[in-house]
Amino acid sequence: MQPNRKPLPLLLQLFDLLCMELSNWRWSWQVMVLTATISPVLSIIALGSFVARNDAESLHAILAGSLVMSLMFGNLDNVSSRFAYMRFSGTLDYYATLPIQRSLLMVAVVLAFFVLSLPSLLVTIGFGAWFLHLSLTIHPLILLVIPLCVLPLAGVGAAIGASSPSPEVGGGLTLLVTMLALFVGPVLLPASRLPEIVQTIGYLSPATYAASALKQTLLEPMTSRIVIDLVALTGFLVLTLWLVSRKLK
Amino acid sequence: MLIYDIQNLVKVYPGQSQPINDRITFQIHQGEIFGILGDNGAGKSTLVRQMVNLLPSSSGTIAFLGKPITTIPQIVQLNVGYMPQESGAVKNLTIAESLYFTAHLRGMSRREACQERDRLLHQWKMIEWRNQPAARLSGGQLRLLRLAVAMAGSPPVLILDEPTNDLDPQRRKLVWENLRQLNREQGTTIILITHDAIEAEKAIGRVGILHAGKLVAIGRPSDLKQQVDRLLRLELFFEPDHPPVLPPDLVCDRHAPGHWRIFLEWDQVEQTLNGLDLNQIDDFRLYSATLEDLYLHYATQS
Repeated sequence: MQPNRKPLPLLLQLFDLLCMELSNWRWSWQVMVLTATISPVLSIIALGSFVARNDAESLHAILAGSLVMSLMFGNLDNVSSRFAYMRFSGTLDYYATLPIQRSLLMVAVVLAFFVLSLPSLLVTIGFGAWFLHLSLTIHPLILLVIPLCVLPLAGVGAAIGASSPSPEVGGGLTLLVTMLALFVGPVLLPASRLPEIVQTIGYLSPATYAASALKQTLLEPMTSRIVIDLVALTGFLVLTLWLVSRKLK
Repeated sequence: MLIYDIQNLVKVYPGQSQPINDRITFQIHQGEIFGILGDNGAGKSTLVRQMVNLLPSSSGTIAFLGKPITTIPQIVQLNVGYMPQESGAVKNLTIAESLYFTAHLRGMSRREACQERDRLLHQWKMIEWRNQPAARLSGGQLRLLRLAVAMAGSPPVLILDEPTNDLDPQRRKLVWENLRQLNREQGTTIILITHDAIEAEKAIGRVGILHAGKLVAIGRPSDLKQQVDRLLRLELFFEPDHPPVLPPDLVCDRHAPGHWRIFLEWDQVEQTLNGLDLNQIDDFRLYSATLEDLYLHYATQS
């Protein structure tokens, strides 16, 4: 037996797991970055072409909603497929027999996709501001807001991927959740254009709070609403982390 | 030292009425090579998945080093290398990366993990494909990689689910040589599921035979074989359209078209061979009882 052998320190575990997850994408990262970029850019072009230049509320919603879309395609969808793949290919069993902290695996998967989603995020911000003629007023709090937007969305993806009965069902569910999150609630469209019932349902979606927080740290003066957004996003993060850890156990 | 102590283990999958493992009890001692034999669906893979905490048991206990495995998951992860029947490695990592990361995550320092990677690459003759991603390997190469990954970090206990399936004879020989060497030189305890009965017989110390979820026999192969009444196995190969005529008192297992197996008592051998019309037969082979016969005997008995 190896009584002196101990598991690696958590930070080293995370570093190894992150390297392993990142190396999975070394042959396909170009396509993944392109896919995550093309949808929000096309939505900016399509929606932005129909909105009057003086309708600031709609223009802000289009940019913030497209950023959420970029984060959703880059994180929620990819994390969901990755967890479903790991579960059905036996990779999750491989990780489960190693002396690692299970929650770190989720963090590593999410971080790997987050790194891949950064180019898309930056391109969407730059292109959106130029195409929609918006001037950006970037608040330093955005450095907290972006991870807080990414993690709950990725957590929802991980929860779907780790629970679906098959990868096909997981893929379908992910698409459904992405579409619902984008269009049910004030994400791509401003709140004033939505029926009251849709606005109310939107409060149940992390995408609503993500869009609101992004608007306030990129385009609009910050209000006390940011506190509600950050608390809600943290709540969704804790909930999804708990769900995934429970499922992995 | 007792490594595993398994008592009355039962596993029933949700929605099924029949248990896949039914009151299984046995122990594994330090430094032994223990073989698990059984037909497909006998519950072998389920049993080993329970032993590495990948599947919860419905009832009964599995103790590792004297403690229930569910209470010491980390001790099991640190000390047991597991090779599943399928998959079990990160497909897009290269061979060298898979070995390094597994050894490092099993608690080795960076330097030790690099040395371990190089040692395993040599041991498994994988140096020339070290930078190949696992996804591009052939079935046989992938199985060797998964074996090497199970051993990375030198865990003192190995659980291997069919380590020689899909391997050509040369690689199969390499696997058995390496397993025997590991057991002899490092005292590694090895628990393995195999259908490679003839080779396994040279390596394993004790065998457990599973049939329909029950452990029907356990012991040293030589002791168990004494209970098979010193049977011999005669295998006949012939043109499928022209089967040979056999004496009526012989019990024949029509194994495949053109391939029959007949179990004989010692005193029946001479008479049977003399009675065969060699013009009707392409080839015949006579074997003393092997582990496979032992399994067939217990499976049909139960």
